Amino acid sequence: MKTQRKWDTLATDTAERLAAAGQFIGAGKRVEAKDVVALLEAVIRPGDRVNIEGNNQKQADFLADCLLKVDKGKIHDLHMVQSAVPLPAHLDLFEQGIAKKLDFAFGGPQAGRVAKFIREGKLELGAIHTYLELFARYFLDLTPRVSLICAFEADREGNLYTGFNTEDTPVIVEATKFRQGIVIAQVNKIVDKLPRVDIPAGWIDAVVESPRPFFVEPLFTRDPALITDNQILLGMLCLKGIYAEYGVQRINHGIGFLTSAIELMLPTYGEELGLKGKACTHMILNPHPTMIPAIEEGWVDTIHCFGGELGMEKYVAARPDVFFVGPDGTLRSNRAFAQTAGHYALDMFIGGTLQIDPYGNSSTATANRVAGFGGAPNMGCDAKGRRHVSGSWLKCGQELPSMPEQIGTMPRGKRLVVQGIETFGEGREPAFVEELDAWQLAKNAKLDLPPVMIYGDDVTHIVTEEGIAYLSRCKDMDARMAAIRAVAGYTPLGLKAKADETRALRDAKIVMTPEDLGVDRDRATRDMLAAKNIRDLVTWSGGLYEPPARFRNW
Amino acid sequence: MALNTLEFECKCAAPAAAVTAPVHFGVVGSGDLEVLMTPAKAGGAVKVKVVTPVTGFDALWQRVLAAFVESAKLGDVAIEINDNNATPAVVTLRLRQALAEAAA
Amino acid sequence: MSKWSTLQDRSFLESNARERAIGIVDEGTFTEFAGPLDRRTSPHLETLGEAVEFDDGIVTGVGKIGKTPVFVISQEGRFIGGSVGEVGGAKMVATLKTAIALADRIAKEFPKAADDEKPVVAISFETGGVRLHEANAGLLAHAEVMDQFQRARGKVPVITLIGSKVGCFGGMGFVAAATDAIVMSEFGRLGLTGPEVIEQEMGKDEFDSADRALVYRTTGGRHKYVMGDCNFIVADTVGAFRAQVAELAKLPVSAFEAMRRIGSAALVEKQLKGVALAAEMQPKDARDVWKHAGNADPVALANVPLDAFKATVKRLAL
Repeated sequence: MKTQRKWDTLATDTAERLAAAGQFIGAGKRVEAKDVVALLEAVIRPGDRVNIEGNNQKQADFLADCLLKVDKGKIHDLHMVQSAVPLPAHLDLFEQGIAKKLDFAFGGPQAGRVAKFIREGKLELGAIHTYLELFARYFLDLTPRVSLICAFEADREGNLYTGFNTEDTPVIVEATKFRQGIVIAQVNKIVDKLPRVDIPAGWIDAVVESPRPFFVEPLFTRDPALITDNQILLGMLCLKGIYAEYGVQRINHGIGFLTSAIELMLPTYGEELGLKGKACTHMILNPHPTMIPAIEEGWVDTIHCFGGELGMEKYVAARPDVFFVGPDGTLRSNRAFAQTAGHYALDMFIGGTLQIDPYGNSSTATANRVAGFGGAPNMGCDAKGRRHVSGSWLKCGQELPSMPEQIGTMPRGKRLVVQGIETFGEGREPAFVEELDAWQLAKNAKLDLPPVMIYGDDVTHIVTEEGIAYLSRCKDMDARMAAIRAVAGYTPLGLKAKADETRALRDAKIVMTPEDLGVDRDRATRDMLAAKNIRDLVTWSGGLYEPPARFRNW
Repeated sequence: MALNTLEFECKCAAPAAAVTAPVHFGVVGSGDLEVLMTPAKAGGAVKVKVVTPVTGFDALWQRVLAAFVESAKLGDVAIEINDNNATPAVVTLRLRQALAEAAA
Repeated sequence: MSKWSTLQDRSFLESNARERAIGIVDEGTFTEFAGPLDRRTSPHLETLGEAVEFDDGIVTGVGKIGKTPVFVISQEGRFIGGSVGEVGGAKMVATLKTAIALADRIAKEFPKAADDEKPVVAISFETGGVRLHEANAGLLAHAEVMDQFQRARGKVPVITLIGSKVGCFGGMGFVAAATDAIVMSEFGRLGLTGPEVIEQEMGKDEFDSADRALVYRTTGGRHKYVMGDCNFIVADTVGAFRAQVAELAKLPVSAFEAMRRIGSAALVEKQLKGVALAAEMQPKDARDVWKHAGNADPVALANVPLDAFKATVKRLAL
């Protein structure tokens, strides 16, 4: 005899919670700011999986502060599942016992506290993910019970406009709501009519007009005034030795100054190399202000964005042929889709790093900060599921001498994964090290694995001021290690390079110095940059770029 | 407390280049340096003087300068550097830029 | 270093002190005083174990624009923030003295010399003022420079150029204000107490130094032009600064009196009118003053290209 089982316990539970909260939710799902703490106490239960929206850009900061004010007797031991924990409130939750466990992707400014709290037992770490990996788990085993999200505007029915900074909202709401969870939104403003509906009211349970606009960090604005001659040299090497060499068209640029320098050299050095139309035509990146000159010069066909960037709203809206813009005329970013494109459809990921070990493993971890991964590993790897072909992807795969060892005579491509780094960092700390600080961090924060941003077998090229190591051309680990030593300069690792070995690598074009590549180091000056300061970028944009106050230089 | 002064000589296998007139390049900004190259008869060697607030990198300075002198095939030159914590990459870049200036 | 011809179109902001000095005068005419080869480093910095520079962060020398001898003083902001110590201060003073001596000699030996044959001094300020490591000597240098200005007055016009990253603050803000004419770019900043120090003393609510929009609209070239604190605003190229100096070099020294900010009873009266206006208006922001001067939309005016700004801006009349 089959026992009767209830199949709608989640929905029933949600209905009970919402009933308890009913007194705070008015017409149009509206909640007064003063009632939010009580609302949270009504809909959240101890041990719930809870998401507070926020990544490296926008933050549901008012709701985070409200969660911090709940009665700890009623709500405790929450399991936070969220992209990032950059706000002090995110970690205060653990300090106060409201939260207990964390699954996340990016630590940001709180990275030091994350490590400390793990060590002190205040925070139980689930795992450090990449964005896409965490989003995937929202639909498997980490679905939030309650999500606290943010949007620019809501209308009188509770529809949301997330617009320029849509970012993670769709993926959080979809996972939460369609597993009968509860979604609460903070909005900057409640209006009669939205520019467009990004999230339908039916997926939202409560909307509060926040006393202050949500916090957004202009994380992707790099001031051209701070770019150094050495970054320009590295950028020249990349453009000539990689962008031109492989004809790379579909690219993600990281957040660092090296890629900003490259962006600002497309209209100068890139133009001189004849790369326009042949490189950087399709990009996955946020609306970097430093992309403006290249866009204006007609380099770029398409840009899809993870998120927005403060000050770029009008510029992006005025370039709908390039950006993904809604019928209302404003950008729609979407981190999940941009990361998917970044994982499957890029030909190259290029970014900076802090440390590289003798095998080519590359890490930004320091001994006492759990910084997390964000999105880099998804783009800084070869997508094994990729089946479509592009020229640079195929060329890189064909170079790989180890391919026959794995799949015999079968041809296959490989993504270019480029790590640019000066051999010594600040305070003359060597960037090439025998052991990554990630090992020490794993010990200090009791992690199962050293958190490695890009694994050695994914890295195809390392670029330093000494030249480029074409790891994609190395037949085995010994050759890779020799190529890495050859570009490691005067670091202890670099000093182990043998002159005859380096000579042979150069002859085989596995290592190329600036001279081998025909890159004139004497030209590596700031005169190479199409824009040298923020005002130049404004001028390039025809006044459409409106930089945040902290970046102005006039 | 006082500034650290390093003086040494480098000699490349086959000196072929020299500077004909004094040349100055660079600004002692943070992480940067200035270099002064002057003609100096030294039997084909290059005399180097580095003045820097940082200690503990003597061997590194010698290696970077020796490699520069070797690659530029430089001889009979005095190189004076005022440093403010430049990395080897910056040192090499500025030395080359100074030499390019001398040739211009 | 860029060649003279490329320097003319080059950003003044991007250039270093020596490039500015060379580019501000005619091609090939610049002779440096106490240059790097003289190795006049600061003995104080050496004692303290701080990095030194062969020119102590100040480039001095003389060149020509047309027939005019132009004595140049150019501060280097990247070396300890352009701070003025004993050696650099002495170089400034000696350069001023040399210019005055030349003017005296010309007056004596060539009484019929034309206006454009008489020397001028151009000072490119990029400094936060006194170098704290050698504060007494640095302060003394400020006083000595001021003293030379008094001696130069009516003989040798002293022209200030400000278009650098550091701007001109601290004691050197007073020094610049005491010169005859001030030329700025929109990237230049001029003030007494620097933004960080104001924040430190008065609090972030009073003045947030990270709010660079606020910093520039309080101390930047456009604001100083509206206020009359600078006489001319030019594009950010070495050539544009040079062209302005060339224009001024043709003028008789008497023409500079009208450009001054301080130094006569009438000018004191004018400054006091400014103080009275501030007391009456109680402005909360530089924008209030821009409006008072007749600029209806200060936000837009701060953002338009420089040419449009110059064409439409209304300057404060006192």
